[in-house]
Amino acid sequence: MTFLAVAVFLTAYAFIAADRVNKTLVALTGAAAVVILPAISSDDIFYSRQTGIDWDVIFLLLGMMIIVSVLRQTGVFEYVAIWAAKRAKGSPLRIMILLVLVTAVASALLDNVTTVLLIAPVTLLVCDRLEISPTSFLMAEVFSSNIGGAATLVGDPPNIIIASRAGLSFNAFLVHLAPIVVIVTAALIIMLPRLFPGSFTVDPDRVADVMALEEREAIRDRGLLIKCGLVLTAVFAAFMGHSALHLEPSVVALLGAGVLIVISGLERSDYLSGVEWETLLFFAGLFVMVGALVDTGAIATLAKAAADLTGGNAVLTTMGILGVSAPVSGIIDNIPYVATMTPIVAELSTTLPNDLHPDALWWALALGADFGGNLTAVGASANVVMLGIARRAGNPITFWEFTRKGIVVTAVSVACAALYLWLRYFVFG
Amino acid sequence: MGMHAEEIAEEYPVVAIDSDALDAARLLAEHRLPGIVVTDQTGRPYAVLPASQVVRFIVPGYIQDDPSLAGVLSETVADRAAEKLRGKKVRDVLPEHLYELPTAGAAETLIEVASTMARLRSPLIAVVKDGKLLGVITASRLLAAALEV
Repeated sequence: MTFLAVAVFLTAYAFIAADRVNKTLVALTGAAAVVILPAISSDDIFYSRQTGIDWDVIFLLLGMMIIVSVLRQTGVFEYVAIWAAKRAKGSPLRIMILLVLVTAVASALLDNVTTVLLIAPVTLLVCDRLEISPTSFLMAEVFSSNIGGAATLVGDPPNIIIASRAGLSFNAFLVHLAPIVVIVTAALIIMLPRLFPGSFTVDPDRVADVMALEEREAIRDRGLLIKCGLVLTAVFAAFMGHSALHLEPSVVALLGAGVLIVISGLERSDYLSGVEWETLLFFAGLFVMVGALVDTGAIATLAKAAADLTGGNAVLTTMGILGVSAPVSGIIDNIPYVATMTPIVAELSTTLPNDLHPDALWWALALGADFGGNLTAVGASANVVMLGIARRAGNPITFWEFTRKGIVVTAVSVACAALYLWLRYFVFG
Repeated sequence: MGMHAEEIAEEYPVVAIDSDALDAARLLAEHRLPGIVVTDQTGRPYAVLPASQVVRFIVPGYIQDDPSLAGVLSETVADRAAEKLRGKKVRDVLPEHLYELPTAGAAETLIEVASTMARLRSPLIAVVKDGKLLGVITASRLLAAALEV
């Protein structure tokens, strides 16, 4: 049975990595196969915290998708981005730095694909006004989005999975990951002139065109903006007050989404516009397949092999997880990767000595998976979406054009992360 | 509705697929046309270019993606409309999904023409007999015939 479950899983993984067939269809077919075998029982699928569908993840994603659907109607993001571009007084490098910062902060609060969808049109508008190519700006923003997303529990789907499976709070992510995200974002900003030489020359006459943009006009509905602001503040306050309130992030997000639906008065098609039902089903299918691997003992065997390989050395295990996660996440989708790795890391953490900071392995997994998304043009959904936008705008970015720079950004990010993990958990921990 | 397509078809200007897009836009504007028939290199009717498509083309893609950006531009879109079309051919403005020519046979009834027009959401239908363009039926012409106005 173990062999069959592993065979189903590997076949599904190969199809997902090849990206030729709809990945949701693959995940659900794989889930159906392990159910029919049967490598997992229906009780385990629906009710087990260890091997079942992680409802916390599914409903946190659903709640955040609804909140973001409403937030997008306000135009606040466009307001902030244009305001920032005007503060840069038309200097392309300063504009890029400010847009990178806006993207990083937005990615920490919203999911990365949404952030990219919001920042790209504003960037195209600003570059159109300046009559400069937007490609380097778009790439810099994707890099920043994948880095910024690592800062919080809700910033990137791998973090949501890790938080739920490892029982880590919103504040734990802020305390442990936000500092390194700030450092890596600063490193990215320092690298920008070298990464994109020749992208910052502009005709001074065009600068007036950017300064003439009226950011206030982007806000279409002030009332909705205020309501959204209040609900978002409450949602993030509740995320942070998780331990006092005893409310899971999924419940907080669903409550926030529910309140916004009621008070915004938007049509159903508007408040559900950002809900990616396929993605939610993809997650469900993945959880069932990985659950079958746990149930049949395949994961325990793999974790034991990994533990033997590192010989119970905590530093080696932590760096091994970081070093493997980044390149693997750069080549295949980091969501199935993290869904598979969470039970392995859970097993591994029991084999290590007690003096290790208990969550260091989880942070290594999160940083590797999140930062690794920058490695190639297909490393993260946000990259694929941004390349699509660039192509439609008549400024295509080739796979290698992106990947050449992505390799540099990922190498620097992972090096910073390795140093951070080592210093924080092994030298000063 | 005893009439046939042939009887209500009207003469209508056409443009070649490789002609200048700005000239085509001017033709649409001057005659207040809802769309224009596009012919291929051999002069056969090829597609219908709706005026709304030309309007869409002059709106920057980023504003189509994010309508809340329309207000932040201080000048009107019209200022740059001619600029967007300059040097472009009709072919560049015509999206691939409009390559199917909305046509009606000369003997088709009004309800058949109306059904094609509704299905393809085209502002006009080319009436064709033996591969030749007899004329065009616009939505308003079809309504006039149907309502006997």
